[in-house]
Amino acid sequence: MIETAHYLIFSFTLYMIGVYCLVTKRNMIRLLLGIEILINAANFNFVSLASSIPGLIDPLAMSIVTVSIGLAASVSAVAVIIIVYAYRHYGTLDVRMLKRLKG
Amino acid sequence: MFSPPIDTLLIFALTTPVIGWITERVKKVQLCGAYSTLGLVISLWYIYELFGAISTGGSQTYTSFFSSQLRIDMLGVFMATIFVLIGIFASVYSLRYLERDTGIPLFYSLLLLMISGMVGTVFAGDFFTFFVFWEMMCISSYTLVAFRKQRWEPIEAAFKYLIMSSAGSATLLFGMSILYGMCGTLNFQGLALALSNVGSSVWLYVSAIFILIGLGVKSAIVPLHTWLPDAHSAAPSPISAMLSGVVVETGIYAICRVGFTILAGIEVQWLGVLAILSLVTMFVGNLTPLLQTDLKRLLAYSSIGHIGYMLAGLATGTVLGLTGTLMHIFNHGIMKGAAFLCAGMILYRLETREMKEMAGIGRKMPVTAAIFALSLFALTGMPPLNGFISELTIIMATVEANMAWLGIAVIVNSVISAAYYLRTIKALLQPITQKKVEEAKEGPLVMLIPLLIMAGLIIVLGIFPDILINFARSAAIALLGGG
Repeated sequence: MIETAHYLIFSFTLYMIGVYCLVTKRNMIRLLLGIEILINAANFNFVSLASSIPGLIDPLAMSIVTVSIGLAASVSAVAVIIIVYAYRHYGTLDVRMLKRLKG
Repeated sequence: MFSPPIDTLLIFALTTPVIGWITERVKKVQLCGAYSTLGLVISLWYIYELFGAISTGGSQTYTSFFSSQLRIDMLGVFMATIFVLIGIFASVYSLRYLERDTGIPLFYSLLLLMISGMVGTVFAGDFFTFFVFWEMMCISSYTLVAFRKQRWEPIEAAFKYLIMSSAGSATLLFGMSILYGMCGTLNFQGLALALSNVGSSVWLYVSAIFILIGLGVKSAIVPLHTWLPDAHSAAPSPISAMLSGVVVETGIYAICRVGFTILAGIEVQWLGVLAILSLVTMFVGNLTPLLQTDLKRLLAYSSIGHIGYMLAGLATGTVLGLTGTLMHIFNHGIMKGAAFLCAGMILYRLETREMKEMAGIGRKMPVTAAIFALSLFALTGMPPLNGFISELTIIMATVEANMAWLGIAVIVNSVISAAYYLRTIKALLQPITQKKVEEAKEGPLVMLIPLLIMAGLIIVLGIFPDILINFARSAAIALLGGG
């Protein structure tokens, strides 16, 4: 039997991995994956906390996660469109090249 | 389905592309803009009807078959009025501003979706409905910032905005999941009830940190503000007015709602944190624009300073402080909206945002320059104008709550901000040096009409603030309960 604390440790680790990815990675697609990892950490937390009472699974958390996955998909769709246009302007996916806005 | 104002906005948002397709066939794209403006006006009428219903019968609850729940109180109506009002101005202004762009029906559709997202955010009665509408607002605002996709600047700004803001949203969702684990519900009232029994526990602090970081990114509180100047200066001017005037303030609303209902048990701690953050936010927001030469970037930075003033009112935690914050949200929407629309008018005629290149434009565009100067004086806090009243309320509230140091900081910052606002006005009045300025003429009437109405509101709300004070006070009482 896995306890709730283990699930929580896992989701916090996942969140930290997402933050690490956002801080260190330089590729635009990888940054997008970092955002997805952050959202998945939250989704995982919802699912694991829904079944914390033995013998009962709360349907509220399941519906929240379903909607949240859809929202994450729309965010990634918009992000990919912007990345495509950025690639057309700059010819690279490296965010270090996107430093023209300053001040 | 989701209460009449949101339904109207959603229906108009979905039908605008169809109307736009027809109007593009008959070469009259402006009709599509007029159609979406009509939608906003109808929505404002429904909000007025809701105002009547709430002031007599208390808060209204709507439950639809999605089991999403809306609970509309006076605070929601107050915020929705600002959103739709600034939306009408931006929509009318866009009729001419965007005439050289393509994809205008989609622009209006996204604008309506963004406004319906914001109205939904303030009407939501449970945390997840709030989050869905919040994401709807965020996604349409990313797309609107990147609307002029053929240029590099909007794309770069939109990418930065998207990464920071969606990381913030994910953090908010993570904080919500911890709250859900503690209480088993996400209804605002249910959460407040469940947490009043829990008292202060470690998990409440953890979730409060995650939620405040998530909301802080959207409302540009200082360590998290770096996306704001880029996104607000790169967006088309009507969208800059919307983003700076109302979208950022949605974050402030969310901090009020979440803070005073859910985190009421640890109120002293998070109010203290907000007081420190408001001090940092004001100083950063008012010292950085001193060196700016880009007009829209200067205005964007000064928005950060005004967020600091709003947080100062919020950090007192009293009815008077919250009244000041809400009034400042309303007034800032009008003042900063007018300033951005005037900057857009200069951009429309001269196609430059550099202040050196627009020297002496006030001699050629007198009406625009007069309204611009009026809105900048209001932003500084000149006495007969509306900015003065709300800043005075905030300062009085800080003194009343024994936080006079915060009130003094607001006064010092008003003085600092006068330096760069006056520099902008000076740039408008200098002798003409550029040939481009010599040939410029006054902006089109369609774009001047919303500006004139906004200038009228700046003066009228400054001289007769009673209606606004009473409205903001009843909204603050609806949130804090009694007092």
